[in-house]
Amino acid sequence: MATQHSRAAARLMISPSVLLLLGWMLIPLGMTIYFSLLRYNLLMPGNNPYVGWENYKYFLTDPAFTAAIVNTLLLVGGVLLITVVGGVLLGLLLDQPMWGQGIVRILVIAPFFVMPTVSALVWKNMFMNPVNGLFAYLAQFLGLEPFDFLAQAPLMSIIGIVSWQWLPFATLILLTAMQSLDREQLEAAEMDGAGPFSRFFYIVVPHLARAVTVVVLIQTIFLLSVFAEILVTTNGGPGNASTNLTYLVYAESLLRFDVGTGSAGGVVAIVLANIVAIFLMRMIGKNLEA
Amino acid sequence: MGRITLDKVTKSFGDIEVIPPLDLTIDEGEFVVFVGPSGCGKSTLLRLIAGLEDVSSGQIRIDREDATHLPPAKRKLAMVFQSYALYPHMSVRKNIAFPLKMAGMSKEEQDKRVDYAAQVLNLSDYIDRKPGQLSGGQRQRVAIGRAIVREPAAFLFDEPLSNLDAALRVNMRLEISELHTKLKTTMVYVTHDQVEAMTMADKIVVLQAGRIEQVGSPLELYRAPRNRFVAGFIGSPKMNFITGEEAAKHGAHEIGVRPEHLQPSTESGMWKGTVGVGEHLGSDTFLHVHDTGLAETITVRASGEMALRHGDTIWLTPEADKIHKFDAAGLRVE
Repeated sequence: MATQHSRAAARLMISPSVLLLLGWMLIPLGMTIYFSLLRYNLLMPGNNPYVGWENYKYFLTDPAFTAAIVNTLLLVGGVLLITVVGGVLLGLLLDQPMWGQGIVRILVIAPFFVMPTVSALVWKNMFMNPVNGLFAYLAQFLGLEPFDFLAQAPLMSIIGIVSWQWLPFATLILLTAMQSLDREQLEAAEMDGAGPFSRFFYIVVPHLARAVTVVVLIQTIFLLSVFAEILVTTNGGPGNASTNLTYLVYAESLLRFDVGTGSAGGVVAIVLANIVAIFLMRMIGKNLEA
Repeated sequence: MGRITLDKVTKSFGDIEVIPPLDLTIDEGEFVVFVGPSGCGKSTLLRLIAGLEDVSSGQIRIDREDATHLPPAKRKLAMVFQSYALYPHMSVRKNIAFPLKMAGMSKEEQDKRVDYAAQVLNLSDYIDRKPGQLSGGQRQRVAIGRAIVREPAAFLFDEPLSNLDAALRVNMRLEISELHTKLKTTMVYVTHDQVEAMTMADKIVVLQAGRIEQVGSPLELYRAPRNRFVAGFIGSPKMNFITGEEAAKHGAHEIGVRPEHLQPSTESGMWKGTVGVGEHLGSDTFLHVHDTGLAETITVRASGEMALRHGDTIWLTPEADKIHKFDAAGLRVE
């Protein structure tokens, strides 16, 4: 029984960690907001005058900003589409009884354990390189012109790389969801005259809805901030073709040394991420209740 | 419509033969109950009829047509599962309409049939709810509704009442029996509960280790069990079995007497014993009698009013014409 007294004591005792966490979160946020209101360029040392919304105006009217927003959305949407559809299909395959199931499942999960920088480098140098890459060899073997993925389709290439990293995660979650489906339901549907496709769309897919929302929510959070893959492959280029919001903020503050605009971009990114989060939570909250 | 014939059907899982060659005919409109202890192959047999398992050899005929290799959907059978297997994301209406939708039936015809089934099964009040919002008995009825709308040649029930509480089970038992008299469709029902078998069946099939021990009406099985297994399985409480000298007196290896065929008395009788636990049901009292020198315990049905206490002496007299005799192999001797 928690008495008034013990509750007060409990509050007192957890307060240090709460304060630490609050500070941990609020101080960087506060400093970012503070910097975003200053003219703060590392190339022009001196006093950093207060300039109001100027940094925001500069960041939001920058043509690169629109491009970055579009790229971010394409990246997130593309990877979600590929991983969810691919995850369902892979899950269906792995759900079949077969010899060496355990090993195959572990192998499927393996890409998830490769760090983003490493996997992006492997893709860039071993597969997509137009001279030495395996895809180039394959194209030459077939008598085709090698395709320079990162130069000609930079965003698509990055979507491919990131999808490869996240596919195991989606597969794993969707596979477990599939295994929790009651076999009798499938048998009942079979008795009811549903063929394999009807069974898949009327029974399996609705059963997976909840798992899919979990995959979408978690992946969206991580995909909004994809950075390493872009840095080591295309550096956001050519032009702005593969610059997403995260990379644009990085470019402003650390390539153009404009801390003020970079901070403004960071704040914009926070706002946008929260808008997405609110929509997702609403959508998913509804789905999880049902 | 609805005559099912099994001809030398066998089923093996790998090297293990679950069902040795088996012949059985289920007549049109009959209520047949497969009963047996768990693991006796009764559910497998039902799944073979349904087509959810493939037979290893032999032939299954439904309405004289060979259905051995037909897919489940083409056999015109409907099944009610133990877990009900309702589709959780669909409303009751959609659940019941699902087989009709799969058959490509028009929307009006679907609605007509669903409404009829809902009315027969008293489901109209919660036709738009999801299965998760229904009680066990209601879910059971939805599962039956989903089977009815297809107007199948036969219904298959796989232990449909085992997830319900005792009171509801008795109710649903009645409802299913009533449904059978109303629809007059063949029903095949699997259960491990011999009370369900006795109360519902036109014909009981007693199974053990995949073999049919006996087929017959409930009373045939009760009056003349073909062997010791059937004798012990049918009837509640179980038949008392006595071996040794007392059995030899009747010219048998083993004799069996049902608790209701023993006359208890406080004064005199054939066998003397001590009263152990008494189970008072009100109408009857089942007494467990020890120290008779015949068997560990002998169960006897006494009238509910009989005043006997733990440790009292009791005499038992079997009704001479109700003694079942078995030989050393466990087969009935007349």
